[in-house]
Amino acid sequence: MPTRDLTLAMVGSGGDGVVTMGEMMAQAGARDGLNVIKVEAYGPQIRGGESSCTLRMSAEPISAQGDAVDVLVVFNWADFTRFKGEVVPKADAVILYEASDPTPLEDVKIPTATNATWIPVPFVELATKATGTKAAKNIVTLGILAELFGIPQESVRKAVEFKFGKKKAGVLEANLKGFAAGREFAGTIGVDVSARKLEYAISAPKLVMTGNEACAVAALHSGCRFFAGYPITPSSEVLHLLSEWLPRSGGRIVQTEDELSALGAIIGGSFAGVKSMTSTSGPGLSLMAEMLGLASMAEIPVVILDVQRGGPSTGLPTKSEQSDLYMAVFGSHGDAPRIVLAPTDVEDCFHATVDAFNIAEETQLPVIVLSDQAIGQSRQTVEKANLVHEVIDRRTPTAEELADYKRYAQTPTGVSPMSVPGTKGGMYQTNGLEHDETARPASSHVMHEKMSRKRFAKLDFVEEKYPLHVHLGPEKADVGIVCWGSSKGPVEEAMKELAANGVSVSAFVPRIIMPFPKKAFLEYAASVKTLVFLEVNFVGQLYNYMRTFVDLPAGTRVFTRSGGMNLSVSEVKGRIESVLSGSGVREEVTA
Amino acid sequence: MSSVVTTPDPPRFQPGDYKSDLKPVWCAGCGDFGVVSAMYRAMAELQLEPWNTVVVSGIGCSSRLPGYVEAYGFNSVHGRALPIATGIKVARPELNVVAVGGDGDGLAIGGNHFLHASRRNLDVFYVLMDNEIYGLTKGQAAPTTPSGDKTKSTFFGNPEPSVDPCELAISFGATWVARGFSGDLKGLVDLMVAGMSHRGFAFLNVMSPCVTWRGDDQFKVMKAKLRGLPEGYDRHSRAAAFAYTRETETLTTGVLYEAHEPSLLDRLEAQRTKAMQGYEELTTEKVLKVFFPPF
Repeated sequence: MPTRDLTLAMVGSGGDGVVTMGEMMAQAGARDGLNVIKVEAYGPQIRGGESSCTLRMSAEPISAQGDAVDVLVVFNWADFTRFKGEVVPKADAVILYEASDPTPLEDVKIPTATNATWIPVPFVELATKATGTKAAKNIVTLGILAELFGIPQESVRKAVEFKFGKKKAGVLEANLKGFAAGREFAGTIGVDVSARKLEYAISAPKLVMTGNEACAVAALHSGCRFFAGYPITPSSEVLHLLSEWLPRSGGRIVQTEDELSALGAIIGGSFAGVKSMTSTSGPGLSLMAEMLGLASMAEIPVVILDVQRGGPSTGLPTKSEQSDLYMAVFGSHGDAPRIVLAPTDVEDCFHATVDAFNIAEETQLPVIVLSDQAIGQSRQTVEKANLVHEVIDRRTPTAEELADYKRYAQTPTGVSPMSVPGTKGGMYQTNGLEHDETARPASSHVMHEKMSRKRFAKLDFVEEKYPLHVHLGPEKADVGIVCWGSSKGPVEEAMKELAANGVSVSAFVPRIIMPFPKKAFLEYAASVKTLVFLEVNFVGQLYNYMRTFVDLPAGTRVFTRSGGMNLSVSEVKGRIESVLSGSGVREEVTA
Repeated sequence: MSSVVTTPDPPRFQPGDYKSDLKPVWCAGCGDFGVVSAMYRAMAELQLEPWNTVVVSGIGCSSRLPGYVEAYGFNSVHGRALPIATGIKVARPELNVVAVGGDGDGLAIGGNHFLHASRRNLDVFYVLMDNEIYGLTKGQAAPTTPSGDKTKSTFFGNPEPSVDPCELAISFGATWVARGFSGDLKGLVDLMVAGMSHRGFAFLNVMSPCVTWRGDDQFKVMKAKLRGLPEGYDRHSRAAAFAYTRETETLTTGVLYEAHEPSLLDRLEAQRTKAMQGYEELTTEKVLKVFFPPF
């Protein structure tokens, strides 16, 4: 029986074209309207070295990368061993491997693949014969995969044509020959893998994008016309894209000398009246701490995208972790209100970023969007129709307010009209010093208290208007999972499987961390018997943070582990099963 | 600075129009009074519209200056006047942006930004009030404090050599570099008018004595060292300028260096014009098309 959901993983060295192949298949799937999630992993080398690409394609909606692989392609066993534990084949996986690999098969130990179908394929030989170069072995592989597993054949062929159509004469022909050779070889294998054949009906094409790309699109959509940033993995794509898009949309961009200048520059840009943004990762956010306090004190709307990676310090630059929550929520001296949003997938990166600009403008607060590498750099299909979001602009003073202009006038919401340079009668001299309503420096304890109250009142407004969260699963459940960010995907997938096994489980995923949607959470907490926190950080940053403002019910369970590997569906299932069986609170991470 | 908004005669703005009603916190006799007075006059001479002008600073005694100017102002955080000014100017090129601050603010904690604002030839006029000491924190050694001088933080004398801010600015790529003295109001006004009119990064180092922590004879000491640039001085030569840096026995004021090179905004504008050739302005709709499979 064919399948409607297929996960493939491909492992090779830099020159093997693994990443290109994955990208072509993802594009082909999106063209046919399939749901696709693609994740890449690399060794630490700047160029070359081992790389892997995991691609899940499904006729049904999906929300996480496939952590149990149906089909594994290995060009080189030595490279595969470097991804051990990250690329895990299913028990009955189909494994295609280079026939001429010197590693004897008995030395290749894949403990999960107990009942796998092993197929040796002379990738290099096939490519060399058909095209004259082994460089085309990824295209040969595409042919094999298209034939064996029903990967959108017509679209994959079009992908090959597109990829090589503009190259010099003969290149396209050679690659099409390679593709055909792969398909032909697949017909000679003589092993029945039809259970892995993808079956689906073609539908309208979907967008394929990463979380970082979705954030960049959202910035443009929100009317951001100034960006300043410093390159840092895994967020640099936002800087790259906007360096093209902003000059083409009436905006400007500066690559600054460090992250504190980046936030400083966008504070300047926003003060000057232009919606402004920066993007960074943990080490950059650390440098931005002083400027966060300034934006909070001077009440200047800015958007900071933090694509989290393993920390602290340089940490794990290319790998995901959810460990900047404390820094985002608390990172500053003094009492410095800010907003923290946490998108849950690629599409939500778009919405969170537009919300960030809206809330920043509405409240004149710094807004941090806490994305992470697992969504920032994974590629997913998105329905274009879903990328619609209202944009809110700044409240500038009315003529009446300008008559006696007070930049920091006390108002019920704490938000004062913000005049923009160029406005006659709206002049003020802002500062990071405590100040009175007219922005004049003031160091009396009475004024300090009054202005702190004003600045924090804005959080109440946000908590009321933006209780952003997702409630997954039934209204009432035995087990209630609390997770955030990219963990939502694997949790959602695991819940489907758990529910199918009769487990009563739901989940609460806050999309705004500060201010926390307390009311919604308390209602949720009352709807489940046991709360279970799942986080990809060592100490349980969300759990500990929430304990500062809610009393969590007795018996709440907390599962946390460091990042470096994304939360997997099987891991979530395992944790929930252990809750149901009453075992371990914290499990050791094993290699 | 490059966006001087001028008006026809008769002058609409008098120097006093740029004076805010906030009373300076500076000590009596502080050199910074001379600097802010010169700034009022220079702004009046150029008829800068106050509402189209932003004065930005970091932290320190001299960084209080934006509060004393009737214009938009931003007294930010220590060392960061230039990043903030960069954002204001790049986001809104039509504004007049002046950055001000002290030697500790600009050369120690903010030194890296000084390098990069100079290198970029950022369209901002930057006035550094150099009193050779940390004044606001009450008398510690600054990067400009002469070697050997005893300060609150150098009990046995300053063990480090000092820097010349003008030498740095020229090396870093600033395209207009001058030195002034806060006791010479007229000279200072002329330098400020020229600096504000320069297209690109204009840097003015003003020797601005701290009578509290450097001694109340500093005005006299500096005045005695004052001299002008010689007749026929070639201000377009970096090599010539370096002969008037790191002075110890003399204090040369005037425009040490000037070059006419495209400013940051010139370059950004040229890029934008080129980027738009054959392109319509991007919209969300157009950008999203990029993400559909291209075949």
